[in-house]
Parts: sequence; structure tokens; C-alpha cells
Amino acid sequence: MFAFVGFSLRRGWQGFWRHKLTSLAATATMVLMLVLLSGLVILLNGLDATLNYVQQEVQVVAYLRDSAGTQDVSRLEAALQEMPAVQDVKYVSKDQAYSDFLARHPEDADVIRSLPSNPLPASLQINLRDPNQYLEVATYLRADNAVDRVLNIQQTVDQMVSVIGILRSGGIVVLLVVLFIIMNTIRIAVVSRADEIEIMRLVGASDAFIRWPFVIEGAIVGLLGALLTIGLLLAAQSPVNDFLKGYFTVFPITGELIVRNIALLVLGTGLGIGVLGSYLSVRSCLSR
Amino acid sequence: MSAPTGGNAATTPRLRPDERVPSRIVLALQGVTKSYPNGKVALKGVDLTIPDGDFVFLVGPSGAGKSTVIKLLIREEVPTKGSVLLDGRDLAKIKKREVPKIRRKIGVVFQDFKLLPNKTVRDNIGFALEVTGARRSAIEPAVDRALKIVGLTGHADHLPGQLSGGEQQRTAIARALVHNPRLFIADEPTGNLDPVISWEIIQLLLRINEMGVTVLMATHNAEVVTAVRKRVVALEEGRIVRDELGAAYHRED
Repeated sequence: MFAFVGFSLRRGWQGFWRHKLTSLAATATMVLMLVLLSGLVILLNGLDATLNYVQQEVQVVAYLRDSAGTQDVSRLEAALQEMPAVQDVKYVSKDQAYSDFLARHPEDADVIRSLPSNPLPASLQINLRDPNQYLEVATYLRADNAVDRVLNIQQTVDQMVSVIGILRSGGIVVLLVVLFIIMNTIRIAVVSRADEIEIMRLVGASDAFIRWPFVIEGAIVGLLGALLTIGLLLAAQSPVNDFLKGYFTVFPITGELIVRNIALLVLGTGLGIGVLGSYLSVRSCLSR
Repeated sequence: MSAPTGGNAATTPRLRPDERVPSRIVLALQGVTKSYPNGKVALKGVDLTIPDGDFVFLVGPSGAGKSTVIKLLIREEVPTKGSVLLDGRDLAKIKKREVPKIRRKIGVVFQDFKLLPNKTVRDNIGFALEVTGARRSAIEPAVDRALKIVGLTGHADHLPGQLSGGEQQRTAIARALVHNPRLFIADEPTGNLDPVISWEIIQLLLRINEMGVTVLMATHNAEVVTAVRKRVVALEEGRIVRDELGAAYHRED
């Protein structure tokens, strides 16, 4: 048993290095797939987090002109609360908006403090009973002089949900295609050594002795691919974070937990595909 | 039956000194019919018995069924009807995981040598032991002995590409011998070799036979078969048409 394990490890290692070209081709495809996989997971995670954040907020925001007075605010509040579509209304003053912004973007505090006056508008934040009745509320608000602009958060949310859906299914298709390419690359690497397998069979090698060196070789491809991918991701982490921060306002991959989870996902997927790909390829050579 | 030992048997080391029971049957085909999925019938009711220590030429035109017999013997194929017995065991009934153990009792060489081009002669021969789980310490002496039998001790560290065809075939023979096989099968071993080299290979097979190994050689080489005067089994269209001791390649009437 010990001899068998030693044999498999030794031969697997030799097999990887004696067929550098095919091994490296398989490793490169592996890296491509793992980068795509982790990129997709990170992106979807980011979008989900953003979506959650946005959904906690109100559904309709009406920004008020600076000219609007307290009587305008109470008039609008009263009218809105009369409407059956509206669940609740909350008034956010200019001062409140200013301190909310400072709390959310402390790194931009210097910029906003340097401005001569508070540029943020006061707003009414409205939750609807039924998001579909948005138009009725928005039309009413847009007709009012005190209202500058109406934002439909729900619309943004809907757009995000569909973007996430497209990304998820598109990503899965791309991953399946790349998975197929990896399996094929591994298969070619194994089949190109059909002579070796034939000789092993002729001299009476058992299936395990034929199979395991190839499985170990696949594991080396998977492991190396995973380590390279993790290296790439770590190198790309801070520029990507900066980009996401700018783009989504929330930044999901700085957390240690998610970095660890992605690393585990990459390692597990790489090893799994390497091992499974070799196993299946050798099996097709053995079952003749 | 042909005698397993020649005149110089006393000086030749025997590979299996304990298995000299004269009448023991190594190999038997009983009513073997083999048809392939494409409908071709390669063998039709073939009966053949080969006793321990025999030397048998299997002759016949291409497509007569020689290759099929060999495939059945190494259990690459199983018969459609009838049975193939190796040492009394029906090869069709052994478990799949026992097949490799059966193959270790059989040494096979082919026309195309089947050597690994990036391994030295020594490593090609040792490969057969390495991949069957032999202890590493046991490999070197066994390889040295096989090299000595085929006369390639001086070429142990050459790659197959640096050898002549005859030397490559001798490497393949050494690899087939390294397990101390009970049965040695040669499928057209001289097919790629010139007459002088072919003759050397035949001499080597005869010497292996004198060591006590049963040899079955499929061949087209009429000159060699006729000169050696051993048992000749002739196949034609899937049937045995002749089975003679001390015979020539062609029927002598």
C-alpha cells in the first residue's frame, strides 16, 4: 500500500514534468476557468450586497427645491399620506442629508466640508404599499413646484435584479464551456499517452496502478492552477476593490471571510476538476 | 509432443525449475468461435492444446485469425463461443481485476516493439515490474538478468531510438521476460526485421523455450518456420487446417 502511494505520487509528478506542454496547457485553461469563476462569484456577491442595501431604503425619493418651505413639506406630506398607494413618508432635511452623507462617505468629508454651502437637497422618502403604483405617486410629485426631481429606487432595483439574472445565467454558460475545454485538455493529455497505458495493460498493471498516477497528475494541475489563480486575485484585489467602491458604493471583497471563501472555492474547484477530469479520461482508456 | 528441452538444457538456467511436469497443459482452446460486432467471424470452432514447454508456430495468411487467437490469449477479447483455458482457468470467467495477474504470467512481444521512446532500455524493462507493484529493490536484479538473457547488458542506458530494430525487439523480449512468464507470445516478432536479425530473434526465442518457457509465435516468415522444424499450427479462414510436429511452413506432401 505504501509502495503504491509512493509509486503513484512519483509517477504523477514525473508525468506532469515530462509532458510540460500539455500540463501547462491544462494548467492555463484551469487558471482561466478559476479566474472567471471567482470573478463571477465576486461580482454577483457585490451586486447582491448592493441590492440588499438599496432594498432596505425607500422606494421613491422626491428631492425638494431649496426654495421649498416648511409649509410645502407639510402640504406634500399630508397629500401623500392621503394616497392609498403610500405606506409611509419620511422628511429628510438638508442638514440631515449632510450628516448622512458624512457618515456614509467619511473619506470624502474634506471635499464636502470645503464647499461654501451644503449642496445636498432635502427630500421626501416614500415607501409604497405596492411598487407598481409608482407612476401615480411620481406624476403627482412631478407636478408640484416644490419638487425638483423624483427618483424611482424600485426601477433601479428591478434593473439590477435583471442584470444579476443575466450575469448569473450567462456566467454559468461561460463556466460550463470553459469546464468542457478543461476536461478536453486533460483528456487530450491522457489520450496522447495511450501507448503508455496500452503497455501498462499488456505487462499486467492493475487498473489502480494505471489510474492513480494520472489522477495525481490531474490534482497537480488543479492545485497549481488554483494557487496561480489565488495569486492573481490577491494581486488584483486592491485595484478591483477601488473600482467596486467607486461603482457600487458598497465594497464586498475587503472582508477576510469572503477572501477566505473565494480561496477555498478556487482550491476545491481546481482540485476537483483536475482529479475528476483525469479519472474520467483514464477510465475511457481502460474500459476498452 | 515436441520435447521442451534441447541438447544444451543442462547449461541453460531454467526460469521455472519447479514446473517441469511434461504433460501439463498450459493453454487450451476448446471449440472457440469469435465473431466481432461488425459481423466478421474471425475464428470458427478452433481446438488447440499446447503443453508445457512446447514451441509452436502459428501460421496462416493475413486475416486468418492469428491476431484474434493472441487477443484471446491475453484476454483482450473473450470468445463468443467455447473457452480459452490458461493453466486450467477459463479466461472468460475470471474477474476483471484478476486479468492483470493473468497477464503477468504471459509475456507478449509485437511487430512494432511498443517501447517507450523516452525511457532507457533498462527503464523500459523495469517499467513492467514498476507498474505491477514490484519492490524497487527487486527491480534491478530482475532487469539485469533479463538484459543478460537477451544480450543487451552493454546497451542498458541507451534510448530505443539509439538501437537497431533487432536490439529494440530484444528489449521488448527482455521486458516480456522480466515477470518470469509461463507463456511467451510473439506476434510477428520479425515482421520489421531483416533476415539475419530475424534469425537472431528466433534463436533467442528458442533459447527462452529451452529455459522452460512455452512459446507461441505467430509469423509469416516461412524460411524460419521451415528451418526450425517445430510444431506448426496453420490457420485459414478461422479454422485450423494443419497441426504438425517438426513441420515446414507450407504443407509437405
